[in-house]
Amino acid sequence: MDSDKIVVKQMSKKFRLRNSGSSSLKAAVMDMVIPGKRSKREDFWALKDINFTVKSGETLGIIGSNGAGKSTLLSLLAGTKTPTEGSIETRGTISSLLELGAGFHPELTGRENVFLAGAIMGLTRKQMNERFDAIVDFAGIEKFIDQPVKHYSSGMYVRLGFAVAVEVDPDILLIDEVLSVGDIDFQRKCIKKMNSFREQGKTMLIISHDLHTIQSISDKILFLEQGEVIGMGDPDDIINNYESHSREDASSSLQREWGTGEVTLTGVKFSNADGVSQDKFNAGEAVTIEISYKASCAITNPVFGFGIADAEGHLVHGSNTQIENFDTGTINGDGSVVLNISDLALASGNYLFSFSVHSDDHTVNYHRLDNHYSIGVNNPKRFEGSIYLPTKWEKTVNNE
Amino acid sequence: MPRVYMNRPFGSAQGPRIGNNISFIIMINLFKDIWQKRELILILVERNLKIRYKNSALGFFWTLLGPLFLILIYSLFLSVLRFPMDLPILVTGIISWQFLAMCLGDSLYAIVGNANLVTKSAFPRIILPLAMVKSNLVNFLLSFIVVIGYLLVKGVDFGALYLLPLIILTQFALCLGVALIFSAANVFFRDTEHIMSIVMLAWFFMTPVIYPIGLVMDNHGFPWWVSVAYFLNPMTGIVSAYRMAFLSAPNPGTEFLMLSFTVSMIFLLVGLFVFQKSEKLFGDEL
Repeated sequence: MDSDKIVVKQMSKKFRLRNSGSSSLKAAVMDMVIPGKRSKREDFWALKDINFTVKSGETLGIIGSNGAGKSTLLSLLAGTKTPTEGSIETRGTISSLLELGAGFHPELTGRENVFLAGAIMGLTRKQMNERFDAIVDFAGIEKFIDQPVKHYSSGMYVRLGFAVAVEVDPDILLIDEVLSVGDIDFQRKCIKKMNSFREQGKTMLIISHDLHTIQSISDKILFLEQGEVIGMGDPDDIINNYESHSREDASSSLQREWGTGEVTLTGVKFSNADGVSQDKFNAGEAVTIEISYKASCAITNPVFGFGIADAEGHLVHGSNTQIENFDTGTINGDGSVVLNISDLALASGNYLFSFSVHSDDHTVNYHRLDNHYSIGVNNPKRFEGSIYLPTKWEKTVNNE
Repeated sequence: MPRVYMNRPFGSAQGPRIGNNISFIIMINLFKDIWQKRELILILVERNLKIRYKNSALGFFWTLLGPLFLILIYSLFLSVLRFPMDLPILVTGIISWQFLAMCLGDSLYAIVGNANLVTKSAFPRIILPLAMVKSNLVNFLLSFIVVIGYLLVKGVDFGALYLLPLIILTQFALCLGVALIFSAANVFFRDTEHIMSIVMLAWFFMTPVIYPIGLVMDNHGFPWWVSVAYFLNPMTGIVSAYRMAFLSAPNPGTEFLMLSFTVSMIFLLVGLFVFQKSEKLFGDEL
């Protein structure tokens, strides 16, 4: 179909990992001389059976953790790498900004590099002359345009790279992680440019770790994990999916569990004020945490506790039933205690919740689950630290 | 209707190829690709020439000064050592050998030295070695101006000058063919550099650069295979043909240039084949 700009079918990409590059000739000769006894090479599938289609005018965001294959996918689409299996079809001219800064030559000036990049795109000198001012203006480097790019700062480098990639007026624009570099001002300019690009009905593919931006700019999002597509579709759904994925990953390394086992914690359920179970909350929201337990014998006054740690595992807050003077009485068999947090006053981020149950005199630990539950918090207020203290400012004027 | 075309960033991003019986079509496409990107070749040639003389005070004049000093030093050397060799013969030999030597030396870095371009943008990779050979051709032609000036002063008998375009074309094809092989090989095997220096040394003495071809033609004591290799070496015919054109050297005749032309074209075809086969993996290796 004409409206399909990019069609990727059953595409896989394999890399060969070599133990030592220097012996490669020796290895190649040996392979030829002694057939059957192939030198040992490890294969690494960077992408496995990728299928997707991008229609004309669509913006596709690509997310995934480091090493998921995002950049490899983009370079395959740009044509700097070739798929091992399957096919990639693209329609129209492609401009790409792969891994920061188009292929600039350090010894050449900004001006010379701009014309070189234009020529790679197949534009004539005349066409580039027409666009030159707009490029320099967008990059904001008038003063340095005749300096060799090796003297540029990384910000200037990226700005010029982005300006060239956009101003050559491609049908398809591929951008790898440009939003995380450059200052806020430039980021805003980039987003504005990308939006006008969308309005012109052009096709874009963007990689970014800035989930907020990618969510707002994309029509669809592709979620890659270890070379495979985990999901593709509506930005909100996919981002939610991605966030819970990465929360699980983050907590798994910090998880610990131990205890004597007279009481075991059998489950923890987080829900909002409406009783809906979720793992992501807004700051200020009420959170209800139901902790289920199973006691194998009668235990008097067990102490239930909880802890909240940040993503690195540093404790932010912790408390228990004893501190709060809550009488748990005697427990036996199955049951649950409910912890109500009326205002989740935490900064935006991921938090790891720990739960425990131990004896009245703190001598016996029945069961502890450290950093087992990962919860996301969204807070529009950008204060310092993890916990928010309600504060009020006043002003007094001393007249002289 | 908007013009919809398939942008196939070099050799297309298709996985398995459909076999090699369509190599003719591939060749036509290759020429089309190169023609479409002629602006890029021009800019790359300009860039190569600029970078060569960047940060040097005399800059582009070195292109002319190099051969000038070469003539001066060899004339001094010949007169002091009383080496039995005519200076014009020596100079035409060395200057034309240098074109090949420069191309071979630069070919190691034609792809590897442009890793930033190869990994960041898609374009027919052949443009890189092609632009490299072209910039060396420019240098070569400029140094030939100096040589011609010297020959005029010397008052030599110019010969079949009309052969020059064919000779230069032959050498260009040979240089490009060999450069394609070495530039691709160096991406995968870093031993290429060492192999090349051995190949070049042997090649240098298998070519009548610092001796007249008569020395070999009059000597019938070589084993037959040495003679075959010697005369199949396109550089033998090319260097002799330059001498034929500039110095009216009698040997070895136009038919011999045709042999060199044919062998050079075979080198070019082999180079294109090797390059075409390996370029898909450049992006992975760099």
